[in-house]
Amino acid sequence: MTRWRRIYYLIPVVALVIPYFANEYLLWVVNAILVYTLVTVGFNLIIGNLGQLAFANTAFFGIGSYTTAILMVYFGVPYVLAIVASAVVGGIAGFLASVAALRGIRLYYLAIITLAFGELMRWVYLHGDKVTDGSDGLLLPKASFFWIPLDSEAPKFYVFLLLTVLVVKATSNLMRSKIGRAIVAIRDNEYSTASLGIHTARYIVLAFVWSGAVVGIAGAMFAVLTERVLPESFGLTEVIIHFGMVLVGGTGSIVGSVLGAIALTALPEYFRQFPGMDELFFGIVIVLVLLFLPKGLVSLLHRISPVFQERYYRD
Amino acid sequence: MYYFLQLTLSGLTQGAIYGLIALSMTVIYRATTIVNFGHGDFVMAGAFVVYVLVVYLGLPYVPAAVLAVVILFGLGVAISRGFIDPIKAGPHIGFAMMSISLGYVLRGGARTLWGREVFPMPRVFDADPIFIGELVVTGDVLFICAIVAILLTIFFLIFYRTTIGTLIQAVYQSERGATLIGVNVQAFHQSMWGVGLAMGAMGGILIAPISLLHPDLGATFLIRGFAAMTLGGFGSLGGAVVGGLLLGVAEQNLGFFVNTALIDITAYLVIVAVLFIRPAGLFGKTVTVRM
Repeated sequence: MTRWRRIYYLIPVVALVIPYFANEYLLWVVNAILVYTLVTVGFNLIIGNLGQLAFANTAFFGIGSYTTAILMVYFGVPYVLAIVASAVVGGIAGFLASVAALRGIRLYYLAIITLAFGELMRWVYLHGDKVTDGSDGLLLPKASFFWIPLDSEAPKFYVFLLLTVLVVKATSNLMRSKIGRAIVAIRDNEYSTASLGIHTARYIVLAFVWSGAVVGIAGAMFAVLTERVLPESFGLTEVIIHFGMVLVGGTGSIVGSVLGAIALTALPEYFRQFPGMDELFFGIVIVLVLLFLPKGLVSLLHRISPVFQERYYRD
Repeated sequence: MYYFLQLTLSGLTQGAIYGLIALSMTVIYRATTIVNFGHGDFVMAGAFVVYVLVVYLGLPYVPAAVLAVVILFGLGVAISRGFIDPIKAGPHIGFAMMSISLGYVLRGGARTLWGREVFPMPRVFDADPIFIGELVVTGDVLFICAIVAILLTIFFLIFYRTTIGTLIQAVYQSERGATLIGVNVQAFHQSMWGVGLAMGAMGGILIAPISLLHPDLGATFLIRGFAAMTLGGFGSLGGAVVGGLLLGVAEQNLGFFVNTALIDITAYLVIVAVLFIRPAGLFGKTVTVRM
């Protein structure tokens, strides 16, 4: 049965043909979906799998973006290395966030302190104008991935697709390993997990670092996608969008993260032309999902066939 | 010294509003153990309802404010009944998301109706400023401080001196126990959501005339409210008020004596510092769990 799940491998292969019939704008939206897929996968690891109410995701996202931007603008670092650096710095930010969780700051306290972390970072981008150019944002030079110049949406799409597939696969493998089982066990009951001899603090740190690194990579992609890194892209609203993607897709599920990213990147894009309508639409969708589909879009897949059930996905 | 006093005075005015909002969040939190992450947007909604009643329907300010508070109370009851009760069995993440998205709907609604404009609220209280020594006390400051003081007195009198207040305290202590003596806990939750939103709306109604009205008004108050709650001790009613006042004073003085850019992040710094140094805040009980 489970080998049927390999059907997922077909998705990126089929996606390879998208640039042949999509125009630049549509391709931009698809690229944004890829960025948000990683954002959601990273966030879901904390919210869904580790079960911690930590909202530091925009901080990781912004730190990743600014790391890439600063390295490329001031040091002329090639994009590939900038991605690696963003992952490392994102991971460090994840470690900082985990320190709060390890100090016993949990639930709403953790939510509030991580929200504060994100907003403090935004303040740093705004007021560190000697480096970040403040609210004008940093304009990126033309990037190239090894020898591929990323000057239009199509090459960006292939590079982003490669990165997304690699990171999603790696995260999926991680979650099916001993580490992933420990992380889910901590969510379900931290004390009994500890009593089984599992060093819970170590796995909490690891989950945060991995989440920070994944979202840091997403930030590196976002910087190249938008070509200008602005403090306003990493505000309070942004974390709500990330949270919505996790929830609409399905908490704790990697497939759900992808579905959530697709649904909530593509649809609001249509409403963006009317001020306020995107927020209205977004809020209503999440309320409806919470009321009528609490396990997210992925539960629709589960209803079709148990084949799609992920091994460590429970509500 | 003169600057310090003048800044402290305006800080206290701001802080009174923060305290009121933090108190309203605490009321909901204590009653239902839900932190309303959309609270800022309800504060904004209260101010917008008054704006609509005053500008479009031509009502005087005071009846408009009373009507707005009643409307927000009804909204709170409706939200508790229609949106929180159905997901009660779910995890805490669901509550957080629900309150965030309800706030988001309100903000989107305000933006759809009024675009991205900024409105000056009509002035209410145009009294001449009073001079105490060198200090200038404007009519707005007097008005806000007086109203907040009256509201807080009424609130704490009800809470500690009446039968209703005793019942509320009983439910805060033990929901099961309260059920056993015949308190309808579900109705209690609903009315506490109503009270919380109504009090938050009062904060918005008071601040709107001296600041500008715009759909993003809520976000600043949400974070200030959190900071005040954290500083005073999460879940402590008196602590929320004291925390709000201290935060307002700290904001103004840091902004003037150190750097204006600090006004925006005082609240965040307070949150981070308090949670790392003394998570229980000034008046809270220690609730952190250590593994």
